[in-house]
Amino acid sequence: MAQITSRITATAGVAAVALTLAACSPSDVEGATDGPVTVETWISQDMETLFPGDAGSYDNISVLDVVYDGLVRYDPETTEPYNYVAESIEPGAENLVWTITIKPGLTFQNGEPVDAEAFARAWNYTADGDNGLYSNYFFSIIEGYDDMQPETGDDGEIVAPGAVDELAGLEVVDDLTLRVTLNKPFAGFATVLGYTGFFPVAQECLDDVEACATEPIGNGPFQVTEWTQSQELTAEKWADYPLDETPDYDAIHWTEYATGETSSWADFQAGQLDLSFPPTAEVEAARNDPELSQRYVERPGSALTYLGFSLYDDGPWQNVEFRKAISMAIDREGIISSLGSGSATPADSWVVPGGVPGGEAGTCEWCTYDPDAAEEALRRAGGWPEGEKLQISLGDDAAEVEYFTAIGNSIETVLGIPYELNIDPDYFSTRAAQGYDGMFRNNWFPDYPLNENYLSFYASGEPGAGHFGWYSKAFEDKLDEAAQAPTLDESIDLYQEAEGILAEEFPTIPFRWSFSATYYSERLDNVVLNPFSGAPMLRAVEVTDA
Amino acid sequence: MERMTDMDRTLTPRPLAGAWRALRRRPDAVIAAVVLVLFTTMALAPRLFTRTSPRSCDIREARVDPQWAGGAHPLGTDSLGCDVLATLVHGVRPSLLLAVVVVGVALVVGVTLGLLAGYYLGWVDYLVSRTVEVFLVIPLLLAALLILSLFQGVDLGGGTFDVILLPAIVLILFSWMPYARYVRASVLETKNLDYVTAARSLGASDLRIMVRHVLPNAVGPVTAILPTSVAGIISWEAVLSFLGIGVRPPATSWGIQIEQGSEWVTGGAPHILLAPLVCLVATVLALVVLGDALRDALDPRLAR
Amino acid sequence: MTRYIARRLLQGAGTLLLVMFVLHLLTTVAIQLNGNPAQAFFGDKVATPAQVAAVEERFGLDDPCFDQPGNPCLGPFAERLGQYARGDLGTNLRGREVADIVGAAAPNTLRLFCVVVVTWLALGMVLGSVAARWRGSAGDHGIRLTSVLIDAFPVFVLLIVYRYVVAVPLNRWSKETFGEDSWPPYWFRPSFDPAHPWATVLVPGILLGLAGSAAFIRLVRASQLESYAGEHVRTARSKGLSEPRVVVHHVVRNSSVPVVTAVGLTFAEALGGAVITEGLMNIYGMGGVLWEAVRNDDVGLVLGIVTLLTTVTVLVMIAVDIAYALLDPRIRLGTDD
Repeated sequence: MAQITSRITATAGVAAVALTLAACSPSDVEGATDGPVTVETWISQDMETLFPGDAGSYDNISVLDVVYDGLVRYDPETTEPYNYVAESIEPGAENLVWTITIKPGLTFQNGEPVDAEAFARAWNYTADGDNGLYSNYFFSIIEGYDDMQPETGDDGEIVAPGAVDELAGLEVVDDLTLRVTLNKPFAGFATVLGYTGFFPVAQECLDDVEACATEPIGNGPFQVTEWTQSQELTAEKWADYPLDETPDYDAIHWTEYATGETSSWADFQAGQLDLSFPPTAEVEAARNDPELSQRYVERPGSALTYLGFSLYDDGPWQNVEFRKAISMAIDREGIISSLGSGSATPADSWVVPGGVPGGEAGTCEWCTYDPDAAEEALRRAGGWPEGEKLQISLGDDAAEVEYFTAIGNSIETVLGIPYELNIDPDYFSTRAAQGYDGMFRNNWFPDYPLNENYLSFYASGEPGAGHFGWYSKAFEDKLDEAAQAPTLDESIDLYQEAEGILAEEFPTIPFRWSFSATYYSERLDNVVLNPFSGAPMLRAVEVTDA
Repeated sequence: MERMTDMDRTLTPRPLAGAWRALRRRPDAVIAAVVLVLFTTMALAPRLFTRTSPRSCDIREARVDPQWAGGAHPLGTDSLGCDVLATLVHGVRPSLLLAVVVVGVALVVGVTLGLLAGYYLGWVDYLVSRTVEVFLVIPLLLAALLILSLFQGVDLGGGTFDVILLPAIVLILFSWMPYARYVRASVLETKNLDYVTAARSLGASDLRIMVRHVLPNAVGPVTAILPTSVAGIISWEAVLSFLGIGVRPPATSWGIQIEQGSEWVTGGAPHILLAPLVCLVATVLALVVLGDALRDALDPRLAR
Repeated sequence: MTRYIARRLLQGAGTLLLVMFVLHLLTTVAIQLNGNPAQAFFGDKVATPAQVAAVEERFGLDDPCFDQPGNPCLGPFAERLGQYARGDLGTNLRGREVADIVGAAAPNTLRLFCVVVVTWLALGMVLGSVAARWRGSAGDHGIRLTSVLIDAFPVFVLLIVYRYVVAVPLNRWSKETFGEDSWPPYWFRPSFDPAHPWATVLVPGILLGLAGSAAFIRLVRASQLESYAGEHVRTARSKGLSEPRVVVHHVVRNSSVPVVTAVGLTFAEALGGAVITEGLMNIYGMGGVLWEAVRNDDVGLVLGIVTLLTTVTVLVMIAVDIAYALLDPRIRLGTDD
């Protein structure tokens, strides 16, 4: 027996030591100086797919941005779209029929041509409701979308698949010309076309969508060479890239992090990453570091975090004065400077100011901290029922829990309304089912740079519907009017008026705008942030020491 | 961890009164007891220790350094601007209550099942043993997450007890097994001893035999692991809070404070972490020392 | 012996089925009560019923029982069992093969556990033996106090402090001292690197092992004390054997039995530590995967992984029981001391 015991122990020990030593031999160190010049950056671990029509998160959008080229790309300064793969995009009369011509001679990384057919097949596949893709809803603006959606029964189960597989409003005129007929006039259609969901796909990709989701066949400057899902992703430069927006370095390597950006900071400090931003607690130290602060870029972000009310339920929040009271009781400045230093700014509008056409600061009259006015408004609203607690619901993200505890504290201190946080892991489905009672967190990350994108989702169509249970006929009429305006500029003005109606009726409370900032390593130069996602524009980055 | 120490289950208990006398002679046990009394007082009467409310927080006063005695914030403020001392003092109650409730209920469940299994054997024993095995096999964190996400929509109110209810249920579900195993083992040993057989032949009922003759035998080893179990639950609460599935904010507990403070260790405000951490470590330390002392006191062989 | 093993295996299979069923029920009820996870797919977008239905079908959540609270969903469960029986672990919500996920994640967790177990055994055996050998000395008290302190200190604090305070300077220092191409810089990387799995898992593993070692120190000490007091040690001493021989052959040997048992039994518990360590050190492992799966109501993934884990745990427990029977003379010979 003794032998058995000691043998077990000894074997385990020896094995472990041997394995450790074997794996640690310095010979397999990579990154030798004569290798490819690689930019080291990060994404978060939950990226599931790289199929354009199915990508909707910060991560796959920022990877696809270098793997695919869209019809238009956006100017980093003005956020306005300019033609890239498209030669021209011409609106017909009333912005209803659009003619898109494509630059000649473009191909996918596998040699297939990037032509009108490549766009048509991508859009038809994504628009087909039976495929259940993320970007499906984008195509609802194109004629014939409804016929492609499955029919559902009373229990929400599918009773019949979509009647047709192709968008009636999509016509391949010739190799390089595509004609699109919309459901109703939409002046901003060209702006939408740079979004991931509108990228073209190769036939080889559609033949095996599953494979294409992990090994994309793009038409952009980089080719995905290896993706160990949830761990790391490498893309190398495509030698035959025909267009001009491509950087000088050779490859990009993304490390995937379980808890997002801030956990990459230690690796950045240790020199493993070229781009990162510190967790809140270390923001100040980084800012005060004279050397590090030289390698820093920032720009206002475009994601809005805001609070909604369960307007589908009875409660004090039905009174607009009550909602104003809550809004004015939130100390946005104080909360953000303590908890979100360097990664957020207080919000006082529903459309990001300066970030997209038509976005202006200060459209929200009651978004400034004003304890006295808040108390006054609460009095006008008739007060808060004695002994009740205000429920504030949100998902289970630790940083957000901290933010919303601070919001609750602020409300409780100013208005004396006791609150309770309802941290709900199934936040999205509860919210969609109108399952909240009181206030709840919302977040909006725009899909394309147009003020319309911040507003149209408030249109619930009928009283009591939507996430908030808010309905305003005036608001929805204004949206329709704006969509049908003859020019984009007029359209933008009308959308601004719609935002005015929102500001008047005050169904939701803007809280904070995201703020993008990144530190970069000594070897990088010309780091510019995407005005839109806030991600570093990898196509623009230059690597100085090779 | 308790389940590893099955080895010393074969001990006959020394009368509890004797154990008490032995305990008083150990200085470490006395210090531990003092620490525990201090925290228990804090749980019962927090206002004795601070007059500030843990819920009056000014975000513009966030992360003030400790001002020690005399200042408005003796231990400083946390990242939300709440007074650290007040949060600490008011956080004792949920943390301790959770631990006591969990260990109490788990003890009753475990002892009952262990007793039944050991006494009746047969299918009762089979059932209990399989259940023990199932619960040993399911990782606690996994089950905790599942169960807590099941009930997250349920509004439980904001009283101290309501706040700890969900973590308590989960921890109870996964902490009764050691007691059942201990008791079952010691029942198996005693059940055929002469005096039990005698009682049975005299016509005593099963219940009477179990309660009067068999159970007292199991008291020793089980008592000895109680303080360690309480300590374990307090630590678990911290872990659950760290993972975001423990006591729900704005209610507070040491675990939540440690979780929030850990973020700021490097951010120039280590006091937010250190204050609750010192308390947690002190309490757990005191409980384990007491448990060790108790084990020695109850164990005639080791206490020579 | 064969009959004993057969019976244990049969019991193990029963436990396995029971665990699977319990978890199936829990995840099903979670979906029924909290709404279909298909909804989370759309995030902040408002989805039409047709869009939700299509995604439900794509995720394999279109069985109507998922919308009927109280329905145990036996159909999907039986279907899944059939799948498992054919050796197919199915896919997660987004269509990724569970087998692939496990194939990528399990090796990392196993590496972590290897380091953890070695740390446990090393610390437990050395410190526990020292404490028992010189019982009551200052060393004994010191070791006991340290073990309690380790126990009381939350492991996540240890890891956070290491990652954010210690690792970066150590990493820089070792780069300067030993050069970029040596391996010490890899030991002190703040996160896991899949290209150098063993080197970068070493320190996190030791820290996690350190946190759990207290129980082992105590266990070894307690069981060795019992051995010192036991008949066979007294007999050995009276036979005139040298003290080191007595210690090594009779005390340490006997105390390794419960230690081996404990290693097997703490398997499920160690997964808790794995969730935290993997999350903080960015190791893609089973703990983190399972954690996310539960958060996303990913029935297929939860059941697939738990089934595997349970199988392993049950097998380990059986192996431990058998090892126990083989190693412990009292059990094998049917005698008692």
